[in-house]
Amino acid sequence: MTRKISYLLLPLLLLLCSCDLQKDIEVDLPSYAPQLVVECYLEPGQPYRLTVLESSSYFETPQPVVVDNAEAYITHNGKKIQLPYKPTYDENSGRLYTHVSEAVMNGKTGDIYGLEVTDDKGRKVTGYTTILPEIPIDTIEWKFNEKEEAYLLTSFQDDPNTADYYRYFVHQDSLNTDSDQNFTSSDNATNGKRISFGSGYDYKRGDVVILTLFHIEKQYFDFLNSTANARNANGNPFAQPAQIKSSVQGGIGIFTNLAYDREVVIIK
Amino acid sequence: MRFPPFLLPLLFVLLYAVPGFAQTYAVKGFINSAFTGEPLVGATVSVPALQAGSFTDERGAYTLQLPAGRHILQVSYIGYQPISQAIRINKSSGIINLVMQPVSSQLQEVEVDADALRQKLNDTRMSVEKLSSREAKLLPALFGEIDLIKTLQLKPGVQSGGEGSSGLYVRGGGPDQNLVLLDGAVIYNPSHLFGFFSVFNPDAVKSVELFKGGFPAQFGGRLSSVLDVGLNEGNNESIHTSGGLGLISSRLTVEGPIVKNKANFIVSGRRTYVDVFTRQINKWSEGKEDYNPIPDYYFYDLNGKFTYKLGDNDQLYLSGYYGRDFFTFNNNGFNFGFNWGNTMAALRWRHKYSSRLYANTTLSATSYQYTIQNQFDVFSLHLTSSIKDYSLKTDYDLFVDGGHSIKFGAMATYHNFTVGRLNSSGDSLSIQSGSGYKAAEFGAYASDDYQVSARLSLNYGLRLSGFGNSGKVYMGLEPRASAKYNLSETTSIKGSFASMMQYIHLVSNSGASLPTDVWYPSTRYVKPQRSQQVAMGFSKLFGNGRFLLTNEVYYKWMHRQIDFRNGANLFVNDSLENEFLFGKGRSYGNEVYLEKTQGRTTGWIGYTLSWTDRKFDVEDDVEDINEGNWFPARYDRRHDLSVVVLHKLSKRLNLTAAFVYSTGDASSLPVARFAFQDVEGKDAAVVPIYTKRNDFRMAAYHRLDLGAVLKLRPKHGEADLTFSVYNAYNRRNPYFVYFEQRKDDADERILGFQAKQVSLFPVVPSITYNFKF
Repeated sequence: MTRKISYLLLPLLLLLCSCDLQKDIEVDLPSYAPQLVVECYLEPGQPYRLTVLESSSYFETPQPVVVDNAEAYITHNGKKIQLPYKPTYDENSGRLYTHVSEAVMNGKTGDIYGLEVTDDKGRKVTGYTTILPEIPIDTIEWKFNEKEEAYLLTSFQDDPNTADYYRYFVHQDSLNTDSDQNFTSSDNATNGKRISFGSGYDYKRGDVVILTLFHIEKQYFDFLNSTANARNANGNPFAQPAQIKSSVQGGIGIFTNLAYDREVVIIK
Repeated sequence: MRFPPFLLPLLFVLLYAVPGFAQTYAVKGFINSAFTGEPLVGATVSVPALQAGSFTDERGAYTLQLPAGRHILQVSYIGYQPISQAIRINKSSGIINLVMQPVSSQLQEVEVDADALRQKLNDTRMSVEKLSSREAKLLPALFGEIDLIKTLQLKPGVQSGGEGSSGLYVRGGGPDQNLVLLDGAVIYNPSHLFGFFSVFNPDAVKSVELFKGGFPAQFGGRLSSVLDVGLNEGNNESIHTSGGLGLISSRLTVEGPIVKNKANFIVSGRRTYVDVFTRQINKWSEGKEDYNPIPDYYFYDLNGKFTYKLGDNDQLYLSGYYGRDFFTFNNNGFNFGFNWGNTMAALRWRHKYSSRLYANTTLSATSYQYTIQNQFDVFSLHLTSSIKDYSLKTDYDLFVDGGHSIKFGAMATYHNFTVGRLNSSGDSLSIQSGSGYKAAEFGAYASDDYQVSARLSLNYGLRLSGFGNSGKVYMGLEPRASAKYNLSETTSIKGSFASMMQYIHLVSNSGASLPTDVWYPSTRYVKPQRSQQVAMGFSKLFGNGRFLLTNEVYYKWMHRQIDFRNGANLFVNDSLENEFLFGKGRSYGNEVYLEKTQGRTTGWIGYTLSWTDRKFDVEDDVEDINEGNWFPARYDRRHDLSVVVLHKLSKRLNLTAAFVYSTGDASSLPVARFAFQDVEGKDAAVVPIYTKRNDFRMAAYHRLDLGAVLKLRPKHGEADLTFSVYNAYNRRNPYFVYFEQRKDDADERILGFQAKQVSLFPVVPSITYNFKF
């Protein structure tokens, strides 16, 4: 009987699968006034590096618009440093910067930095970031199943006195490959506990795995989630449209600092 | 609340159109089925010469106010032979009980006599849509799965949630604003398979009635509609079995007497079997590299009803529903299970104190819950949300000389909410979160259906409702009124007003009916939703009584409407209230309905012109929806047309067609984008920027469905084959639109962006075999 039913269903499924249910359409979008888009991550021991671009109407030229007249300043402890316009491509990281300083950032936990970007159209973007401490990864474990595949478990201790936010990356061999895992997490349900991030049975003996645990600001957590939600809303019929929660005022973007622990392990 | 000028004529009718009185006497009785012995709910009882008429209530009872003299009493009911009987009224009230003979069996085509339309013309009630299971079974359906709720979407003023969805959006209200009752008990999530099928098995259901406005005072607790679903009662004479084999599911019903003419039962079951097929594919593909198993999915539901006659004046009804959806997925060490469903049991005691006073007392328990479980090695996760209710209600019907049919009663419900209860455990970490609420809801009401004269009838009532949760108590007064006046033998005008309160809220930020949507009580911070609706209508019978044209205008104000902050986490969140935003809504429109219920060709044309908007004021500097301005609801569809035709080609063959057209959904599309480079270790991405809410219109939706029911001639019992073709001309209706990146194949460079429209169902033919013996 069940086989008969399967035969009945087969043509139906084939029909559904064989139909091309997508098509190109023309959409008229309302006019849009471009905004400044700023990305700046402070990292102790590194120069101040900043990317200033412009947002654009969806169907305009796909290449990002660089704002070459933008002036950028970092403020810290009453000092104001101008970051010169100096488009730079970092081949190691694959990142493009529009403004790079000579000076190196050497802030300590709790230090507050400000950012100010202006351009000749009178647009102005400002933001602040507070340097966070690294949270060390204390254990990396793996466990094999009978097929000789292993899952990974990365553990660390959450601080019970603060509301903490994390971002977690897992890469194989190099940071330039697609990440196996990339997610953000808060300690809302796990405050003060030892937290573990796991994986599926994705690894075998000899794999080189790079694990990165970022300790991030709430404004960075919100920005990352809002960009993920906005991307998800484009193509998911069940999702609500999401607005970008920028950490900067007067434009779009993120100004924050990177405090992370990165470990490289070989699965044995 | 400003009173719209176009409704002034309604006030005029209500206030001034009271004609002279004529002495009338109450004629009462019960209408039962000769076949099953069960009461016939919604049968029309009338004296056409006097333009007087009424419908039987849920006990099959009716009341008419008639002057003394000889009259012809007519009774009609879908699928039964009409009765025409001479009666004499001798300056006193009288009781006339009647039994009706079915036209034929369940598989017979619908036969409706012409007076059904006349009764509708003369009914005090307005904004009511009624549908029998027999009627729905003739119409074409997606995958051949007959669904009464989806058939109701073909009526004016009722919108679907989208392609294939069984959600009801009534006069601008959301699917969470429908009070769904199954034999008097609430069903909280009336859908299977993410909203594609409703939980109501057409074999178990006798009929459904949908109130879009002019709500009777005995109903309360939701803003926008009351969907009153009645289960079939078992056959009183002999055991019968019926069922069907379809593409998606099979059904089986057994019914019969336990003690003849005293106790009977009916049990119906239904189960899908796509999982049988997908399991087989998974088995064939086991061990193949890169093969991802197809998740396992099925649903089933069981309905039962037991009826016991205690004596001449007492009857007991025990109704039950149990349904579950199961979704399981096992891959790469993960064992993921997700199940959800409703459970309901209701015990009703009907007692007749005298020929003037009846009471129905119902004790019920209902619950909806979903559970997600995930197991991986030593790690486990268990997440559940639920609502469980225990409810007691009693409803009295009192008939008073002078044309008064009075209803009064009270209800009390104990709600138990579990919101996002999470248990997670593993190596060293265990997490518990979630919250629970216990709340009480009550209501008391009284109403009078007053037949002032042969031309004028009024129905007015008041409902007092209340809700208490954690020391916070809310109360509401909900006045209700409706009136009907016959301008002539073939023309009537009607008007109604209804005020409604809703104390519990559905937490859902998706456009679909997802099983993870949870119910949340009113609290100190989350205040109850409120609405007011006014409607006025005009009905005209023409073509020698074969056609009824009805036009209704309505305006609805909705307050304390709920939406959620952008990117709100509604799934596991102990501070859920922080995600709520409160606003208001309005909906207004005109509904035209032309129906024909007599002859070989029957059917209807419904057209709705309507507007539905929402507005959420900016509550703080951070959050707003659409900058605090009015915006259209996703299901704000300016034009909505449905044409349904049923044609009896021969005694063995019925042909049906249904055409629907509606303005495209309002949706939000990104207007702009920016490049997000991100940190080392992550690829750059294009991030869309959304500005206005629901500012874009998708292409219009239209579809033609065709159906045929061919009666077979089996040796025993009866059988038929039902053919359906969904979306016959294979229209690519928009389901959603998104923007795609076009990339260079060689170097992954972005070349540009293209808008894409995705459709859900192409033409879908199906066949179902039904039997009864």
